[in-house]
Amino acid sequence: MTRETTLRVGILGYGTMGAGIAQVAAAAGCRVVVVDTGEEALERGSVLLLQSVQQAVERGKLTDDAADAVLGRVETVTDSRALSDCEIVIETVTELYDVKAAALEEISSYVDREAIIATNTSSLSVTALAVNVSNPGRFAGLHFFNPAPVMRLVEIIPGMDTAVETAGRLRSWAAEVGKEPVIVKDQPGFLVNAVLMPYLNQAVRELDRGLASAEDIDIAVRLGLGYPKGPLELMDLIGLDTHLHATTSAYEETADARFAPPPMLRRLVAAGRLGKKTGSGLRPEKGDE
Amino acid sequence: MSDITRSRVGIVGAGTMGTGIAITAIRAGFPTTLTDSASEALPVARDHVDRFLEKSVQRSKLTEVDRHAALDRLSLTEDFERLADCDIVIESISEDLSAKQELFRGLGEYVPEETVYVTNTSTLSVTAISAGAIRPDRLVGMHFCNPAPLMHLVEVVDGMLTSATTHALALEFAQALGKTAVEVKDSPGFIVNRLLIPFENSCIRELEHGTATVEDIDRAVRFGLRYPMGPFQLLDTVGMDVHRAVSLSLFEQLRDPAFAPPPLVDQMIAVGHLGRKTGRGFYRYDEPGMFGT
Repeated sequence: MTRETTLRVGILGYGTMGAGIAQVAAAAGCRVVVVDTGEEALERGSVLLLQSVQQAVERGKLTDDAADAVLGRVETVTDSRALSDCEIVIETVTELYDVKAAALEEISSYVDREAIIATNTSSLSVTALAVNVSNPGRFAGLHFFNPAPVMRLVEIIPGMDTAVETAGRLRSWAAEVGKEPVIVKDQPGFLVNAVLMPYLNQAVRELDRGLASAEDIDIAVRLGLGYPKGPLELMDLIGLDTHLHATTSAYEETADARFAPPPMLRRLVAAGRLGKKTGSGLRPEKGDE
Repeated sequence: MSDITRSRVGIVGAGTMGTGIAITAIRAGFPTTLTDSASEALPVARDHVDRFLEKSVQRSKLTEVDRHAALDRLSLTEDFERLADCDIVIESISEDLSAKQELFRGLGEYVPEETVYVTNTSTLSVTAISAGAIRPDRLVGMHFCNPAPLMHLVEVVDGMLTSATTHALALEFAQALGKTAVEVKDSPGFIVNRLLIPFENSCIRELEHGTATVEDIDRAVRFGLRYPMGPFQLLDTVGMDVHRAVSLSLFEQLRDPAFAPPPLVDQMIAVGHLGRKTGRGFYRYDEPGMFGT
C-alpha cells in the first residue's frame, strides 16, 4: 500500500470479524483504531487479534517483525470520537438490525462527512441500514468472509443511495489490502450466500431422502467437483443454527422456496446437534458410525 | 469371474467419456476393447489416447515402458461381436434412453450370461435403462466424471433389479481402476449433477438479475467458496448445449424449477455462444478447444 502513513481505518466492534479486518488493514500498512463498548470487550478482541497474528506467523504468512508491526498499528479505544480522523470506518457489531442501527447513528455524528462508513453485515439490507447515517452516499456494505485474514473475497454492496465513487473507493481499498473485491447488488445473501444457501439446503434434503450417505455426498462433491469441502461437512463447520437462521431470514424476505429451511435441519437444531461446535451435526461422529 | 483384476473390459461408444474410460482401464492394466458403430470415431479416439498418454509421459506420470504396455492393451473395433469375450461391458453412448435400452437388449446376443453390464449414464435412470435387458440383475450404473482419466470419482448406482453381486463387482472394479466409489440411489442426476445443476442455474439467474458481472460472480465463487472454477468458466468448458440438455432432462424427471435452464441459456445457444468450443460463451476464447482433449 502506497499511502501507508496517511490511511487511517476505524473499526467498530472487536469480535471475530472486527479483529480479522483489523489484521487485514494493519498488515497492509493502514493505521487502525478499534472501538468497542468497554475495556473487557477490547481485551477479548486483542486476544483474538494476537492469536490470529500468531497463526499467520506459524503458517509462514508473516515474519516476527511484520507481526509486531501489525500489532503496533492497531490502537483500541472505548470512545467512538476517535473515529473522527478515519478515512474509512467499518462497522462489525452484532448482526441485529437494531444494534447496528444504533451504532451507525452514534458514529455518524463523529465520522468525517467525506469519510466512508461501511457495514460488514452478511444478512441485513445495506439500504435499510443506510437510513441511520447522515450521509448515505458515503455508506456501503463491505462483506468480509470468516476468517478475514485468510479468505480473499470481499463483497462490496452499494445501497440505493450509495454514490458510485464510494463503491469505487472501497473496491480500490480492498484490492490495496490484498483482497479480491466484487460489486454485488443489495439483496438477501448478496451473491455468495444467495447461491450457497440453496445448495446447502438441497444437500440436506437429499440426505433426508436417502440419496446417499452423508459421507458419500461429501466425497462426491470433493472429488467430483473439486470443492474444498462437501456441503454437509461445511454446514457442520458453519453451525447448523447459524445456517438455519440465515436461510430462514432469506426465505422470509424472498418467499423463494430454495431458501426454505429443510425439515431435517430444524430437527437437528431442535435436538441440539449444531455441528462441530456441539460435537455432532449432519455428519455422524466417528464413534457412532 | 472370480478375480476382477483379470477382467477383460469392453466399451461401447468412443466419444470423450468412452475414450477417457478406456484410458483409465488400460492404465490400470485391463485388456480393453473400445467399439463404436461410427467408423470415423475410432481414429479420433486412437489419436486422443495417444496424445493423452504422451502427455502423461511428459509430465512424468507414466514411464515410456508403461505407455507401450498400456497401448498394447487397447484394441479398437467397429465389430460389436468382439465384445463376446469381455467380462465387463461399459456403455458410453449418447444420453438417449431408447438407444441405451436397445444396446443392452442387443448385447445379450453376443455376450455371455455372466458378463457385467455397466451404463455410464449421467442423467438417465439405471432402472429404466435396464428395462428389457436380458439380464437386468447384471446391469449397474457407474458414472465417471469428465475427464475420466483424471477425475477420481465414480458414482455407483443400482437399478431396481441390480443384484447385490453385481453391485459388489462394480465397487471392486472401481477400486481396481484406482477410483473412489460412492454409492447412490437411482435418482436423477445422482449426487454430483443433482447438486451442481441447480447451483449453476442459480448463478445464471443472478447474472440475469444483474446481481453482479460475469467476472465478479466467478471471482466471488472462486475466492469466497474456494471452488476450482467459477460457474461461468465451468459452463463455458462444459458447453451451454450440454448444460441445457442435462438441466432439461433433470427438470423433466424431477419437475423441480431449480433444474429448469434459465432463458439466457437458450439465448446464448441461439447466437452460437456455446462456450470454449465455439470460441465464445460467457467469455471469449482465442483458441477453441474441448476440456480434456
